[in-house]
Amino acid sequence: MRTWLAAGALIALLGAAPAPVNRYPTALGTDLGVTKLIAESDADSAISGVQVFVAAGLDRETASNNGVSALVAECITRTLVDGVPLRDAIAADGGSISYTVDGRSVHYYLEARSEHLGALVTLFAKALTAPDFSAATLAVARASIAARQTGFETNPLSVGIEMFRRSYYATGAGRPALGSSASLAALSSRDVAAFYAANYKRHAVLSSVVGDMTPELGEALRKLASALPDGPVAQVPERAHAIPASAPRIVAHRDVAAPWVVVGFAAPSPSSGDFGAMLVLESLLSDAFDRNSATTLGFLEKSVGAFYLYDSTPASLVVYVNGSQVDPSLALRELLLVSHSLSQRPLGAGTLNRFKAAAEGQFLSDSVNLSDRSYLLGAFASQGLGDDAINAALAALERTTAADVQRVAKAYLQRYIVALVLPRQQ
Amino acid sequence: MTGTRKLWAALLGAALGAAALPARAATGDLPDLGPNVTVGRLPAGGGTVIVRPAQGAPVAAIELWYRAPSTGFGPKPMPAIARLAAQVVAASKPIVGGPLGKTVSEAGGRLAITVYSDSISISAAVPASAARTIVRALTTAYFAPVVTEEGYRAARGEVEQESQISSYDPETVVRDAIFAQLFSAGPQHFPSLGDPKDIAQIGFADVKAFATRAFRSQNATLVVSGAVDSGIADAAVSGRPAEGDDGPEAPATPELAASAAPVTKDFAETVGGYGWIGPAISDTREATAMDFIADYLFRNDDGYVTRQVAEKYPDAMMLGQFITLHDPGVMFVVYSGKDNTPALKALVDDGFAHVQKAMAPATFAAALEAFKYHLLSDLQTPTQIADNFGWYSVEGAAEYAPGANGERGTYFKAADSLTPDFVADVANKYFSKSPVVVTLRPGLAEKTKQQ
Repeated sequence: MRTWLAAGALIALLGAAPAPVNRYPTALGTDLGVTKLIAESDADSAISGVQVFVAAGLDRETASNNGVSALVAECITRTLVDGVPLRDAIAADGGSISYTVDGRSVHYYLEARSEHLGALVTLFAKALTAPDFSAATLAVARASIAARQTGFETNPLSVGIEMFRRSYYATGAGRPALGSSASLAALSSRDVAAFYAANYKRHAVLSSVVGDMTPELGEALRKLASALPDGPVAQVPERAHAIPASAPRIVAHRDVAAPWVVVGFAAPSPSSGDFGAMLVLESLLSDAFDRNSATTLGFLEKSVGAFYLYDSTPASLVVYVNGSQVDPSLALRELLLVSHSLSQRPLGAGTLNRFKAAAEGQFLSDSVNLSDRSYLLGAFASQGLGDDAINAALAALERTTAADVQRVAKAYLQRYIVALVLPRQQ
Repeated sequence: MTGTRKLWAALLGAALGAAALPARAATGDLPDLGPNVTVGRLPAGGGTVIVRPAQGAPVAAIELWYRAPSTGFGPKPMPAIARLAAQVVAASKPIVGGPLGKTVSEAGGRLAITVYSDSISISAAVPASAARTIVRALTTAYFAPVVTEEGYRAARGEVEQESQISSYDPETVVRDAIFAQLFSAGPQHFPSLGDPKDIAQIGFADVKAFATRAFRSQNATLVVSGAVDSGIADAAVSGRPAEGDDGPEAPATPELAASAAPVTKDFAETVGGYGWIGPAISDTREATAMDFIADYLFRNDDGYVTRQVAEKYPDAMMLGQFITLHDPGVMFVVYSGKDNTPALKALVDDGFAHVQKAMAPATFAAALEAFKYHLLSDLQTPTQIADNFGWYSVEGAAEYAPGANGERGTYFKAADSLTPDFVADVANKYFSKSPVVVTLRPGLAEKTKQQ
């Protein structure tokens, strides 16, 4: 009888098996002595990617040296290593290097066949620890960054987000990632060297790897950090201005065909218990206004979209309205009504599940390639989500309840800044 | 500046297809794509199914590829009918359940449809937990397509808008102009997406007839990649049985133009472009050499040409690509840099002259290493892997897909067989002929009106 009961219980358990959950391979942290490495292993990956984060991002810039973080990074990729510019040496060895400046860090991304990646990190370390900030290299680096600025300025969404960030952040985190033509022109070799000397310390480095974590790669990363000077990493304030209840408006004119509106809100950091709920709100605000398209729309085709920006602390949420698709005034009014409504009553179970699924799908599809995964792993870990940070974020999303969404909407979506990017003739 | 290192045309949105492709999908042997790839048949006499499980992100790419002319099966070409028909199927609500687009979106996925001259792909990228559900939903929708008037109305507006947006894209406009000149008839002669006027002329009955004829299990290649098990193809449905008029479509033999005159068209900015006929996909060594040349000259920011462009004209747009096709392939280049466009042309000319001479051994070795890395790097996501298998399958050479058999496969062997002399010979063979030259300029329409 007991056997029958046990079998019955087993069948019931099997029948009630939980739905499969989506998880990345478990990421593990390794203390390399002078620095930390977090790795997520894809055993069948022919290539691997590593992000080397240096705490030398926008939040360490001042108004007078805006753009210096990017200039340092650009010079490093152009520094001669064994007589060849670093980026060329890496390309010739069958790899690639790129960098991104964000609010809290500059992160260098290297990618290559897994068995070559350690050797390429060693090449990178040579340039990182002995960069060339000569006037000639600086001039080429400045021109390269200026070209990227031009592309940035012609994108109304980028312009609108930057306007909001400038207004929201009380630190360098709100400044343009690539500086401005004027600020870059004013930066001398001495300024660049000073920023490097102040921030490129061994304890300012964190690395994250996705792919095949070889012992050679671990050793190369340990040596890279060890070769940087010791010394304390200065703490920087992570502050934002309180958003006034008056909903300030900022206006800029650009060569754009139609007006764009960017509405910026404060948002919780990834380590906050509110993170999952804000992901749901991002998804909801991104999809709630769009016509029912049979295929998934790109950001240019959408009338309204949302981005949860958690590269800086505090984080923020921006919702954009594309004036070429919808009347911006009408969409803005509807957006604010929805934001208010979300804070007033909880979502129904069906709606919550739908938007949780959409939020999870969006999160996953933004973190598929090696570059995005390794970035997220390091960025989340540095914000306190632990070593297995991406899976922790997914778990936070799964735990989110309707009450969480309502509470977070109430806490964050009631105050906002409106940035308007208008065509020049308007 | 934009370069490109995509070695197949999955992201290009247009290409030409096959003359008489091997009927492998319906009757022949299954290709051997390596130990990590399961190849089989769709149920009830359907086409091929390719499953490539991969570790990593918990996502799956599920793609259906069809060989079908973008201009329709009838004698009168209807540009965009394939694109519109696929969109109508995704938008139409069947008797049971919701439209496919809604099903994918509610699973947290993204649905995309990409049309080429002779083929079309319907692609869903979804969380892995939803993969089985979406394999079933996608095959249900496209193996026995339901086409409703409501779906037709919604889809037509969407495809018109897509067409409008693509008409502002210089790459699309130049590529379409090059193909129109290189080929004198057949689907390759026409833009695969058409313009809004073309789309407005396609009626509901046309769409229904096309969907019924083109979207059949027997004509499909299903590719699944990502965090899935190799048995996921079990979730595919059988589809409707083959009917008398369901046989393989008449071969769409590309008709090469006897000569190609230069083309000048009105556009918002000054843009230039070239196009040459290249080797067929069956000539794997030559086709791989052309991919290598495109990578060497035009890869992002560090190609022989793109590097000079980045340094001298950082605001300019420049891209070049060899489109690997059944027969023949096409090399094309497009560039734009306002007043500097003539100077860009000089850099492109210099690049093509440069590759007609054998490279120094060290330069060649570095370029080949970089090329192979770019191939691997372009196969890192489930969608890239699925695109790769789907594209090479519909072009009739699945085993030549760079993802097949990894670095021991046909493609990498062809890459390893390249030498500086061989690459120079291939460049001479194809680029010493006159290319199709396309020039886009502002103000031409106004001038024509005044005349």
